[in-house]
Amino acid sequence: MADRAEIEEFCGPEWAEWYLMTPQERWEESAKLWATYLALGGSLDPEPDPQSPFFDEQEWRELFAHGGPGVRIVRRGGV
Amino acid sequence: MGGQACVLYGAAEFSRDTDLAILADAENLARLKKALHELQAFCIAVPPLEQRFLDMGLAVHFRCQHEEAGNQRIDVMSKMRGVDDFAALWNRRTTFDFDDHSVDVLSLPDLVKAKKTQRNKDWPMIARLVESNYFRNLDSPTDEQIRFWLRELRTAELLIKLAQRYAETAPAIIALRPLLAHAMAGDLLALEAALHDEEQREREADRAYWLPLKTQLEQLRHARQ
Repeated sequence: MADRAEIEEFCGPEWAEWYLMTPQERWEESAKLWATYLALGGSLDPEPDPQSPFFDEQEWRELFAHGGPGVRIVRRGGV
Repeated sequence: MGGQACVLYGAAEFSRDTDLAILADAENLARLKKALHELQAFCIAVPPLEQRFLDMGLAVHFRCQHEEAGNQRIDVMSKMRGVDDFAALWNRRTTFDFDDHSVDVLSLPDLVKAKKTQRNKDWPMIARLVESNYFRNLDSPTDEQIRFWLRELRTAELLIKLAQRYAETAPAIIALRPLLAHAMAGDLLALEAALHDEEQREREADRAYWLPLKTQLEQLRHARQ
């Protein structure tokens, strides 16, 4: 394993920390994010992904654009 | 094979579904249908779960209604562009063992190939997946790992370092990846431009691959209406 300083040099401290975790640690951290996301009312519905070959705008609207809970921008500063 | 696999290998993706690569034969599809039934999963878009659609390379999309499945979505595929058939993928799979369960995912080289799509978001993911493997095994890499990094690293500075460190191996890979010549020469600008071109070629190849499949999907949507 490369040392933290070497990884940070290329990727910055956050990625270095992530890379240095074990797969189980990353799995658990990812699960925590999920718990937080869902507790905040986040939706499992997909974001519209026009670059995906499976994406069809009309189908997406029919299936997912239901006004249900999701993460939205409620305030935007600058741009 | 999707976001969860990326997290296990060291990239980070906040995926909202679970992507499964499956063997599409009658026996396995029967098993899959039984499992989906237990999850109270229903198909949410075209195509329906039929072997012929999986064999085409289309994905089948489900949502689970079982209370313990938390409304999870599942996407199922059996064929991906540029990736070997399921039997080969299964033979090369990585199994991550946890305390009370294990998870089988695509091997890292197969996952990287599967991620070479037309979507912007997949390309930084590939870079992270390979970087993570590089840093984790840098001290005593196998020959196979060195060759994998030479074929797949997308971080120009690391690729230069790698090509110069393994100057005896890199020439053997140049035929597969000509941009390694820039890495060996230490030409950062030329290498970055070549990496960009390489990505664009793959994205274009993915768009071309999907063109007839998208037509097929549109026909299925029309037929459903």
